[in-house]
Amino acid sequence: MSNFTIPVGPLHVALEEPMYFRIDVEGETVKHVDINAGHVHRGVEYLATKRNVFQNVVLTERICSLCSNSHPQAYSMAIEQIAGITVPERAEYLRAIADEIKRVASNLFNTGILAHLVGFESLFMQMMQVRERMQDIKEAVFGNRMDIGANTIGGVRYDIDAPRAEFMAQQLDLMVPEVDEVIELFKTNRSILTRTRGVGVLTNEQALDCACVGPVARAAGVSYDVRVKAPYACYDKLEVPVHTLPDGDVWSRAMVRLLEARTAIDLIRQCLADLPEGPTVATSERPPIPAGEAIARCEAPRGELIYYVRMADSPKPERVKWRVPSFMNWDAVRIMMQDAKVADIAIIVNSIDPCISCTER
Amino acid sequence: MSILADDLEQHLLAAAPAGIQFRTTTDAKSVTTGWCTLADKEQLVTAAALLKALCARLMTITIFQPKAPPAPAVKEGETPPPPPTFFGGLVNDGKAYEVSYHFDVDGDALTLTIHVPGGGDVESLTPLFRNADWPERELMEIYSIKVRNHPDPRRLFLDPRIDGAVLERLIPFSTMANSASTKGLWEKIMAQTGSKS
Repeated sequence: MSNFTIPVGPLHVALEEPMYFRIDVEGETVKHVDINAGHVHRGVEYLATKRNVFQNVVLTERICSLCSNSHPQAYSMAIEQIAGITVPERAEYLRAIADEIKRVASNLFNTGILAHLVGFESLFMQMMQVRERMQDIKEAVFGNRMDIGANTIGGVRYDIDAPRAEFMAQQLDLMVPEVDEVIELFKTNRSILTRTRGVGVLTNEQALDCACVGPVARAAGVSYDVRVKAPYACYDKLEVPVHTLPDGDVWSRAMVRLLEARTAIDLIRQCLADLPEGPTVATSERPPIPAGEAIARCEAPRGELIYYVRMADSPKPERVKWRVPSFMNWDAVRIMMQDAKVADIAIIVNSIDPCISCTER
Repeated sequence: MSILADDLEQHLLAAAPAGIQFRTTTDAKSVTTGWCTLADKEQLVTAAALLKALCARLMTITIFQPKAPPAPAVKEGETPPPPPTFFGGLVNDGKAYEVSYHFDVDGDALTLTIHVPGGGDVESLTPLFRNADWPERELMEIYSIKVRNHPDPRRLFLDPRIDGAVLERLIPFSTMANSASTKGLWEKIMAQTGSKS
């Protein structure tokens, strides 16, 4: 048997963003993986200390497009803690709605790509079609399809009136059977099951050891969801089921994402039904932000996102530090790839739903 | 009800006998955040080991250089006031690092903070928390802090050919862009003005 070292990346057809994997193979089997990061390192944390508190809401939204709502939300939450701002109840619900809309779109995108990687092109196109309904909702409600600009310090920048709520409810009603159909396909279709069952396994112990977060951890039986463990926005008033699966393989991670997309639709419906009346922002003027420090966390589509903000006597933050969920899950990729087949590399990398521009900032 | 035990402060003090500053805040959703500053940076490992025993999860590590407060004007003949210090006695000269280790204890957050003199070092937490690996590598490349006993102290995001401590230096844009745009622009200007290079 021959040993080779094969490079995968930084630019590779199966990767949407640049990352370099140096993979030692023995025949067809992966023996060792070394990850070389930094190809899209832009120094955004440095930039955040050169802009004032309010400009950073715009900057943080542009770190990543798929979880673009979670960044300004966690950042705003940290600033609100420092300044002691109470977000109005209606804004808390609207924040949760924006969060869940992004979650459905993001999770369907990732699992759709998985269908593409296993060669099931018709399913890939069908899933992108289902996701398109969410994109339509975003366009109708926020006026934008990716960076939705929903958050501001002290509340939200959008509101849902009766016709929009009706449009959303109608689209969600159409989506539910479509998502259920996709879930059923993932549970039964042989070409998906044979390529993803038992592939890229991460055990419960390893997931805890690597401190994995989000669907990667939950697919390995770690029952941790920020929305339940450390509630924010209106999640303390909602029923949020936590989906966990025991096996920790590629299929489990995809299944957790699909089930969470399905749950997210229910959460949006709950929010629309309970949406209280009232203002959408705490103050119409820019509030003064005193010195202080705070931590804020939220559950992005990929898992726990944490922001730490330190303010001194300046309108610019002294430090803004964030850690994205993908940052924690890269280490687990090396475990998942151990003894995997070369043909499964792309599927395993995709299964953590990697976000590289988030990881490297 | 907070998950952070009521006697956590005593346990942390026992793990870091040089002294701690401890406070907690609880928000409207009953999520508790604990803040603990250690007087001696060398007692970080024992404090972290205590948290490991409580099944804490290391979320991330933050490093930055707090700005020194402006020196007060001193009248002639008066002795200047002692320089401002952090908890633990380290002088806040604008060069010292503040390193914060953010932990999660089943939903509640706890931050351990230490202060390290400029160019100083800190013990690695990677043997205790496997996921401290990447954050510690990032510390070492953005500031000239050293992490002792790190199992794999390579660069994380920055290329090894780039000088380290990027957040401690002012890097001119032309240097950062490798003069590529500046040279082209310069030649264009010279051509337009008709000057001989």
